[in-house]
Amino acid sequence: MGNLLQLFIRFGGFVTFVLVEAFCFFLIVQYNEKQDAIFTHSWGIFSGRILERQQKALDYIGLSDRVDSLTKENAALQAELANTRVFQMPYRDTQFLVLRDTLRKVDGSDSVIDKTTRPHYEFIAAKVVGNSITSTNNWLMINRGTEDQVKPGMAVVSGLGIVGITRHVDRRFSMVLSVLHRQSRISAALKLKNGELPAGSIVWEGGDPAMVTLRFIPKHFIEFIEIGTPVVTSGLSGMFPKEISIGTVFDKPEADIENPYFLNIKVRLRQDMSSVQDVYVVKNAFATEMDTLQTKTARQ
Amino acid sequence: MNSNNFFPSLWRFLGIMVVQVLLFKQVALAGPYFTILLYPLLLLLLPLQAATPYLVLLGFATGMTVDFFYGSLGVHASAGAFSGLIRPGVLGAFAPKGGYSGKEPIFAPAYVGWQTFLSAAALFFGLHIFWYFSVDAFTFVYYGMITLKSALCFGLSMIFVVLYTALFNPKN
Repeated sequence: MGNLLQLFIRFGGFVTFVLVEAFCFFLIVQYNEKQDAIFTHSWGIFSGRILERQQKALDYIGLSDRVDSLTKENAALQAELANTRVFQMPYRDTQFLVLRDTLRKVDGSDSVIDKTTRPHYEFIAAKVVGNSITSTNNWLMINRGTEDQVKPGMAVVSGLGIVGITRHVDRRFSMVLSVLHRQSRISAALKLKNGELPAGSIVWEGGDPAMVTLRFIPKHFIEFIEIGTPVVTSGLSGMFPKEISIGTVFDKPEADIENPYFLNIKVRLRQDMSSVQDVYVVKNAFATEMDTLQTKTARQ
Repeated sequence: MNSNNFFPSLWRFLGIMVVQVLLFKQVALAGPYFTILLYPLLLLLLPLQAATPYLVLLGFATGMTVDFFYGSLGVHASAGAFSGLIRPGVLGAFAPKGGYSGKEPIFAPAYVGWQTFLSAAALFFGLHIFWYFSVDAFTFVYYGMITLKSALCFGLSMIFVVLYTALFNPKN
């Protein structure tokens, strides 16, 4: 008790002061307009900052889930886009040349639109865990493998453009033949203003990792080709969906030294291969069927 | 507080309050730079031996009384409570060697001399006035205006402190 009294004598004045000042603060804010306005304004700014920091912390905590969710959503959208492009071709039956939508309306049943008559693409989101751009033959490693239904010979794209083709696939990882590999051959087309899509092949001749070469474009297209003309996938290989962006024409076309009836065109890649991180492995549901057909045809 | 102190303190309280709320309040209407605060003298002239919690509460009560008439609820009360807290420290800073003998009932020129009294009063009033204008502004953004108002109020208030003390020569 004596200690308590001593404590009160020693600090009682300050404690009383703090309590009284707290009461005065309440009175000042409650009954004085000017001080109330200042307090409300300051409190608003202060609590806003606190809430903002709290929200940032919560956003950061939930960031990886959000990124995963957005990546999956993006993969679904990419698939939808790729599959929609394929159906821009008219469907011909035995008697009529009609478009897909019209057929559905005329017949009214899904059986007329045989979904197995066209490629069906699925996009599997993946992350690049290894990459090289300085070698003559470059590779990437991605964190998807057989467990995720990845197989060799599947196209790999990013949100900006093409990346490569899977070559070696393990359970959880895959090696991707980069577009910056000497052996890379990707079917591509020029997207001309007149609507034509002359197809050729994208190769990398070494050197600048931002530049590739589009070969085997017939030379009569030279007058339609300008600097900046978009270069896209042709869709003819079955691996890459049609009209996935590759890049743009960088320089005036030159005649191919090996075959002067064709052009060599320098193309600037849209995807910066040094910084690619989020990619999609393109699964063609009918790849096996198409490969079998091609193999049979090649034997004849 | 014994009966020797109570009634003198009470009359002093009433007298200074009347002057503060009736006379000096009218002067304040001339403008925010014409504020005269005499009521802190009440706290300075409280018994020397008064305990700090007691001083804080009396300071609060004195300030609240002024607030009722000035329409600034809590502002003067806050300054009064602050002055109650700092009073022991201020008086201790101007205590004679060996401390106060215990024979001085209050801190007045009759016991400590004019020089000591005026020095302590200047410090006490300066701190009280600065706290008051800071609370009144409720922000330190306008520290220039707070300092200017404090300086002007201090000058005017000290004139009346000297006048009162010289006139009434308080001894208890």
